[in-house]
Amino acid sequence: MSFETQAPDWAWYFIALYFYIGGVSAGAYFIGSLAELFGGEEQNDISRIAFNIALPLILITPILLIADLGRPERFWHLFFYTNGGVPYMNLQSPLSVGSWALMVYGAFSLLSFLDNLVAEGRLKSAPLAHLYNRLPRKAYAVIGSLAGFFVAGYTGVLLNLTARPLWAATDPLLGALFIASGASTGAAAIALVMAWKKMTSATAFDRLEAFDRITMVVELLLIVTMIVVAGRFAAPLLHGAYALLFWGGTVVLGILLPLGLYWYARRRGADRGAIVMLTASLVLFGGAVLRISLVQAGQM
Amino acid sequence: MGKGMFVDTSICTGCKACQVACKEWNELPGEPAHFHKVPNRPYSVAFNFTGNSYDNTGQLSATDWRHVRFIEQFTENRSETRWLFSSDSCKHCNDAGCLNACPTKAIIRTDEGNVIVQPDVCIGCKYCIPACPFGVISFSEKTGTVHKCTLCNDRIHNGLGTACAKACPTGSIRFGEMPELRARADKRLAQLKALGFAKANIYGYTEAKGLNVFYLFMDRPSVYGQPEDPVVPQRRLFRSAATMILAAMAVGVAALISFRERGAKKGGEVSK
Repeated sequence: MSFETQAPDWAWYFIALYFYIGGVSAGAYFIGSLAELFGGEEQNDISRIAFNIALPLILITPILLIADLGRPERFWHLFFYTNGGVPYMNLQSPLSVGSWALMVYGAFSLLSFLDNLVAEGRLKSAPLAHLYNRLPRKAYAVIGSLAGFFVAGYTGVLLNLTARPLWAATDPLLGALFIASGASTGAAAIALVMAWKKMTSATAFDRLEAFDRITMVVELLLIVTMIVVAGRFAAPLLHGAYALLFWGGTVVLGILLPLGLYWYARRRGADRGAIVMLTASLVLFGGAVLRISLVQAGQM
Repeated sequence: MGKGMFVDTSICTGCKACQVACKEWNELPGEPAHFHKVPNRPYSVAFNFTGNSYDNTGQLSATDWRHVRFIEQFTENRSETRWLFSSDSCKHCNDAGCLNACPTKAIIRTDEGNVIVQPDVCIGCKYCIPACPFGVISFSEKTGTVHKCTLCNDRIHNGLGTACAKACPTGSIRFGEMPELRARADKRLAQLKALGFAKANIYGYTEAKGLNVFYLFMDRPSVYGQPEDPVVPQRRLFRSAATMILAAMAVGVAALISFRERGAKKGGEVSK
């Protein structure tokens, strides 16, 4: 008998999936913002698609989060302390600050999305345009990106700030790992939609691919560091079903294979659209499996 | 310093009166029947016996706020044995992981120093469960909220001691003011050391900035299923958050390198 803590029994299809979808949305939003702030005209596609992805994805997440609560009808207690009658935030609790950040991020991704619709001419008589367009477009991209980073990364910090052996032993790396994964899957989501819509802009793909490559290498380094740091507490990731999921799904299919495919496509000049679709799907799959295996293995 | 409990495991007899008193006072339901009929067997079969000495709950749970542990120790050749007992519960830490983690302020500390869950505020997010270094607080599917020992919040605010301490026939569990309890614990420890129990130790003076329910153990804390060096998870917040921010900055730089328009005019304005 030694270390005894209890697992929260979070359902993977709610909590781990939320960690993933929130990360993809925030990653895409951040890339869209940067493309808008610093990119040229040819990068308008990237930012437009990014903002169109970010909002629908982040709209799914509250449903997942609320569904996992023991008392879903009380979800608003996260923002309002009912016994005190005041708004509430617990600065020590990533779950509390994260809930607020998710709300802020959701609001800004809505603004960017609406702006996008107007820019695309799909929303001509925007009823509230005069309200939200008072804030310059770039201002919401900046604030939204910062909130987005928080949404992508706090989930890792949330896991680290527990006493469960695996999550505590991987401290302080999960936040960083989830940020890298969010950025990489965000880029993959944009690339996938572009390839899907046959918007085969070589420069856009080049940029997304370059970014994806960097983040995937960072992710790989963080994973290796994490396993070393965790030592014997990494056992749930080294034996059993989650080991297969983690090493096979995330590391091989989600990182190594896409890196290899990028390299192969570069050398052989294979059909860009098809390669992008394949690698982007693999990266997106790897990101989902990363969250699922880490969240579930920590509860074993 | 508020009120608390001192659990002197050296005089515990493992009678479980505390477990019963806790269930009675707090109206906690018992476990489902321990015996089940099994097809093709004429007798009932014990289904949820732990098989671990006289331990009947195995752990603390939403309905078991007290748990008496039974530890059977044998020497190598099994010529000598020792049977250790310890009545475990919420420790009402001065730096409580569950309270720190709670996003809704459902978990609060009262003026007596005890940590309680407000059942009408809790949303059942379950984040406090992994945040407790001792594995105390638990979720109930029935209520959709978390539950744990309240240090008999209703009793202690009305001049009574806790139900478990009241029921304890040997004085192993004592309720009272913390300074008095600590003085008693120090005295008892000195007595035991003088009798030659070198491994005897007090658990809870420094752990989690002091436990308001603390223990005198006859062996290492891990023997009693307690973490040797419990870390309140939130004390790692700064390092964790800083690493996340560093990663965000690194990703930001990577993105700048990838998406910046090199040498050209800034494009965003043109598209407007």
